[in-house]
Amino acid sequence: MTTPSPGARTASARARRRDARLAYVMLAPAVALLVLVLGYPVAWEVWISLTDFSPQSAGGARFVGLVNYRRLLQDPSIAHAALVTTAYAVVTSAAKLALGVGFALLLARPFPGRGVAFVAIFLPWAYPAGVSVIGWYWTLNPSAAAAYSGLMAAARNAVDGAAGSGAWALSSVALFNVWRGGSFMGIFLLAGINAVPPELFEAALLECRSAWRRFWLVTVPLLRPFLAMAVFLSLTSAFWDLANVWSLTGGRVAFPVIGTLAYWTAILGGQFGSGAALSLTMVPPLLGVLWLLFRLLDRPARGGL
Amino acid sequence: MASRGARGGLAAIAVAYCLFLIYFMAVQALKTPREHLLGNALIVTQPSLENFVALFALPGQARRLFGGAVRRSYATWLANTLIVLAASLAISLVLATLAAYALGYLRPPGYRWWRRAIFATYVVPHTILFVPLYQVILQLGLDDRLLGLLLVYPAMALPFCIWILSIYFEHLPRELEEAALVEGATRRRVFFRIILPMSRSVVVAAGIFTLGTVAADLTFASVFLVSRETQTVAVGLAARGSIVDQPLALAGINAMALPVVLACVLFARDYARGLTAAMTEGG
Repeated sequence: MTTPSPGARTASARARRRDARLAYVMLAPAVALLVLVLGYPVAWEVWISLTDFSPQSAGGARFVGLVNYRRLLQDPSIAHAALVTTAYAVVTSAAKLALGVGFALLLARPFPGRGVAFVAIFLPWAYPAGVSVIGWYWTLNPSAAAAYSGLMAAARNAVDGAAGSGAWALSSVALFNVWRGGSFMGIFLLAGINAVPPELFEAALLECRSAWRRFWLVTVPLLRPFLAMAVFLSLTSAFWDLANVWSLTGGRVAFPVIGTLAYWTAILGGQFGSGAALSLTMVPPLLGVLWLLFRLLDRPARGGL
Repeated sequence: MASRGARGGLAAIAVAYCLFLIYFMAVQALKTPREHLLGNALIVTQPSLENFVALFALPGQARRLFGGAVRRSYATWLANTLIVLAASLAISLVLATLAAYALGYLRPPGYRWWRRAIFATYVVPHTILFVPLYQVILQLGLDDRLLGLLLVYPAMALPFCIWILSIYFEHLPRELEEAALVEGATRRRVFFRIILPMSRSVVVAAGIFTLGTVAADLTFASVFLVSRETQTVAVGLAARGSIVDQPLALAGINAMALPVVLACVLFARDYARGLTAAMTEGG
């Protein structure tokens, strides 16, 4: 290897600087959009969470430090909401993951009708969820007279009677979220399986007889970055569906989760400080999951995703 | 190892599970109000397109008692929805491709951290975010206008799109561009003639992801779009459809879903292929 002459080295350094400048220019529109949509609102929310701001009081926002956060820790209804939120996120994500893995393994090998099955499994996610969530909600809660309204009312009373008011609504959102998210995960993980060199699976086939062991010892480790990415996306989108049902019902249906409790506190109760603080408590756990995700994606053995 | 027969049986169950809601909504939309009330919920014995016709009927033509607001505005809502979807798709793809080329191909110092920071925006909870967001929209004079949504929607899809596109660009062989540059092609030309066509399936994957993400929103649209003429199908139906004429409203859902589903199915294979391409080591 020859050492480049000093002139060539400065030329390449100049080219690199030029590339970097071009890169920042090309990056600018996307970053500007994200800052506009998220930067100011998040800063506002963080600031408000440290004040006693309320549109009902004339005084404006007064800085109160961490009082709102400290109050959250003492409120038993918030502990309950945190528990329900965690349960909702964990249960829906686990169900989506199980379904997604099943779908992906099913579609990974040829069988008659695979093309049809592929499209059918893709459809729950591809069907615009802004309207399918409405259809789902009306199916389970027919407000107008329909042939099935009696049946649904009975089911609703049974579930709410057994698990408390709001249980039917929350579990119906969970079912919808699993239906749609499982479809996304299925296709996403199928793409992941296809990205793994087939020799690796074939080698495993020779090494290990039991399909169950092969799944845990070979498939899961190979797919780990894709599984992690799918779980992260599932966690964040789990709450979008919840918000959709919530706005669909005009907030009449109160789910005992952090998001809706924050909305009630802030918008309906006028306590913006506590509402913002409550809403921001969702960030650290998600950042933790994200950190795990980045670590998994960074495994030196796999460039991967 | 499951036999082919067992695989087919499992597939049949999966297909039934995945299609049930879609089938159910289609069946109700094809029913007359009478059958909706008295018939079997799971099948339609006398399918009729009258609900779909009523959605697009001119004022005075339709002889239905209920669902007046839905009938009067559906065509406008549908047009609004398609405009928002198409424009969000275009904005998201252009911005994501530019940013991904910058991060994956030009790789300025700290490009990995840029990519992570952009992706990390997904942890922001939307709950009361729309209060300050609405301030921004008001400041820009975009309240009750579709343009307001065109700020928010691309922001929801961009992080993932930038992620997969930039990973893909990062693994592209650089000799291609170097060779073309030596032969006197400009960088822009190389991008449009070589890199972009090579990345077709990944761009499609980003596009389908954008479509799925954007079409899933009801919340932002119901906060931002107040008047009937500016609303989208989801907002319009959520606000008015449920009370009186459910078959009509379900026809509205089906009619809006049809073009989106067709686009998705048409590109379904490229979507999966594009995700694979972005995930494969070494491009």
